[in-house]
Amino acid sequence: MLEVVLFWLVVIASLAWFGQQMAHRTRLYVRAADNISTDGLGARLMRFFGEVVFQSKVIGAKPVVGFAHLFVFWGFVAFGLYTAVETLHGLGIADLSETRAFYYYKLALVPFSLLVIAGIAYLLVRRAFVQPPELGATVSKESVLIDAFIAALMVTFLIDLVIEPGPAERVNWWLHMVIIFTFLGLIPNSKHLHLLLAPITVFLKSPVLQTVPNLDFEKEEVGFETVKDLPRKAVLDAFTCVECGRCQENCPAYATGKLLNPKRLILQNEEALLANRLEATLAEVYDPKVLWQCTTCGACENQCPVGIEHTPVIIGARRGLVSNGEAPDYLGGVYNNLERRGNIWGLLYDQRQKFVQSAGVEIFDRSKHEFLVWLGCAGAFEADFQKSLRALFDILRAKGVTFGVLAKERCTGDIAKRSGNEYMFQELATQNIEEFTTHGVTKIVTSCPHCLKTIGHDYREFGYEAEVVHSSVLVADLMHGVRFDKTETVTFHDPCYLGRYAHTHEEPRELLDRVGATVVEPARNRENPFCCGAGGGLLFEEHEEGKRISQERFEQLQGTGADTVVMGCPFCSIMLKGAAASSNASTQMVDLMTYVDGRLKAARPNAVFREAPELAGTVASAPPAAAGPPDPGGPPSA
Amino acid sequence: MKIAVCIKQVVGREWQLRLSDDKTWIRDQDASFELNEPDAYALEAALRLKEQHGGEVVVCSAGPSRVVQALREALARGADRAIHVEDGALASADAFVVAGALAAALRDEHFDLVLTGLQSDDQGFGQVGVVLAERLGLAHSTITMDVAVEDGGLRVKRELEGGWFQWIRLPLPALLTIQSGINQLRYATLKGIMAAKKKEIRSVAAPADLAARQRIVSLYFPEKSKQTRMIAGAPDEAAKELVRVLREEARVF
Repeated sequence: MLEVVLFWLVVIASLAWFGQQMAHRTRLYVRAADNISTDGLGARLMRFFGEVVFQSKVIGAKPVVGFAHLFVFWGFVAFGLYTAVETLHGLGIADLSETRAFYYYKLALVPFSLLVIAGIAYLLVRRAFVQPPELGATVSKESVLIDAFIAALMVTFLIDLVIEPGPAERVNWWLHMVIIFTFLGLIPNSKHLHLLLAPITVFLKSPVLQTVPNLDFEKEEVGFETVKDLPRKAVLDAFTCVECGRCQENCPAYATGKLLNPKRLILQNEEALLANRLEATLAEVYDPKVLWQCTTCGACENQCPVGIEHTPVIIGARRGLVSNGEAPDYLGGVYNNLERRGNIWGLLYDQRQKFVQSAGVEIFDRSKHEFLVWLGCAGAFEADFQKSLRALFDILRAKGVTFGVLAKERCTGDIAKRSGNEYMFQELATQNIEEFTTHGVTKIVTSCPHCLKTIGHDYREFGYEAEVVHSSVLVADLMHGVRFDKTETVTFHDPCYLGRYAHTHEEPRELLDRVGATVVEPARNRENPFCCGAGGGLLFEEHEEGKRISQERFEQLQGTGADTVVMGCPFCSIMLKGAAASSNASTQMVDLMTYVDGRLKAARPNAVFREAPELAGTVASAPPAAAGPPDPGGPPSA
Repeated sequence: MKIAVCIKQVVGREWQLRLSDDKTWIRDQDASFELNEPDAYALEAALRLKEQHGGEVVVCSAGPSRVVQALREALARGADRAIHVEDGALASADAFVVAGALAAALRDEHFDLVLTGLQSDDQGFGQVGVVLAERLGLAHSTITMDVAVEDGGLRVKRELEGGWFQWIRLPLPALLTIQSGINQLRYATLKGIMAAKKKEIRSVAAPADLAARQRIVSLYFPEKSKQTRMIAGAPDEAAKELVRVLREEARVF
């Protein structure tokens, strides 16, 4: 009887301790603006099963750690019922511990407990002795304690299976239960709150990377200025962070010695929230410099195993600064260019006109053309990228694809959106959408991954839903059957807005493969490339702190040994060409379309390829003797 | 410091110019308009002076109803209120008429400082500022590169020819015409745009007794001409002649 009373006291104390800490967090959540969305339920459920039940994200990046964690996670789930039965028994409410079903259940738990012990032992050693940098500079004593608790729970469970009833058995039982209820009280104020919140945050994370809803100007929304502006999902995220440091490990700004550390940013949110510093400005919580060091490459958000969304917080806080006129000077110039001239460089559109005319492209007419080719600021004005556009035009013509361009384009608003100038973004977006709608545009192809994300994703919020593809996807589709002998080795730099955001990474490789290039890979590739440093408006930042991100990426690409770097984004081209030039490297830097077109033209006489589209298909079945380009060493586009 | 900035709305550079039927002005009914660029720098200079010394920035524009757009833009960038001298005929009026209209609107407010752009991107006479100064009886300075408040007056940097500059002092109240490109323009912030909706734009009528002193007689597109001259002779002689022609006639270096 005394035992029952004592156990009641333990349980009540533990619940009170737990409840009081959770109440504080719940209040902070409830008072935050509601931004919880469950659209795209199918995708959310798929992610839930993949990332929560099967821990795909945890295992994907680090298989050993991942499996160790998977064992512990499944162990926790499996032991849920055991804990419930033993607690009810201990409280004297119901005794199911002597049933046959419980006996078999306990036997079934044995393998789980062994896996948990193996898993937790590995994690404990890693944390306490290996100490990987992403986990932080100091060993968290609390984490070690919790790891020890989990191990002790498993051991006491196994002892309980074999021990005879008696005082020793009671001591063992009490040890087990006291650990559980101490653990419960420790959960809220530790990273172990992810046990309860991660399944929720993973489910609530938007199905599309970097989903940053439009501001509603009617409601006088201006972005996040102070801690109290952080919306509910951001509040949950702050409490959920498990401090694993995957965001930090994958962040290009952090990797090149800048102040920005996405993990620290989320933990600073948590700290400020728990300290009730609701009126503190986000700029002073983080250091304003940090916010302008993010390229919006999305690596942090994409790698996070617990569904934290970093980009809406960073872009939201940027909006707060930009709305108050506190954008960095270089962005002020870009905004004025966008406002006065509709493009990021502030150039007059007659230059674009000249390019369109000299390339012989027609103005889009839906009765004549299947695709609208969207040039983007770079395609319209940047000499090097215009070459890429000309290459695309030639390929499309050769394959008989009909296309046109708009008489007038404005910037999609990518830089405005990512850097937090929401007003400018919405101005540009609504004008472009009006243009698309007027001309009945339903299929768009672009060589700019930033335009792809903006038109293909961000414009959907305005109700514009066209089919938007990157040129590599369309051209890969047209090239089935082309197969040249391998004569060159290249590496492909995946643009973040293509590989990570659009999941387009196989098409560019397929194209390279078809035109006879062997692709060697840098360590960071496909869905998790290392940024070139241009995104989020940083294309215009000339005084980068630490090492230049473009320099770091260029060295990674150079490290593959390939003497040709193929790129698929105008911003990446500008950044990486700059890095190659300042390294005095002889590496050839070339855009994907320029490269592919060059190889095609080298393989077949120009005239045949260009003027007889019906013959173009036969490039595919050309006899091997004619297949390889005549001058394999020569640059295809120089 | 109470500062007035006179701004003009001009046709956008992207707009394809077309002449009016009588060929004395452009057919701008369907044109897109933007803020005259030197005026944007005058506004920026005024906003910076206000940030340093406090006070008020009032923007004033003389023109048809469409110029309200330009006034709103200026308010969004930080001007406190606006005065619109509304008259359709002011769209292409000469400097004397425009300066007279602005003077009538500004006179009673007794500004410490009046700024205008150096010139307009359309007519380009560069006269509105100086005529306005005379009409208001103010000291003035043109082609202003930098403004500093000093000992209750102004110290002003002026641009001269050939890369020369000049510093002058002048008392307040004064009028300055501001050169393009002297500062980094701020962008219109979301808060500024929201606040602009609530700021006052006072509309006043243009004085009736203003008669033009100038008349545009004819307007035409510059004729493009292309001449090809072959330079004959031995290569080294021809090269010398080419250098001479480039230097002395084409003046490319």
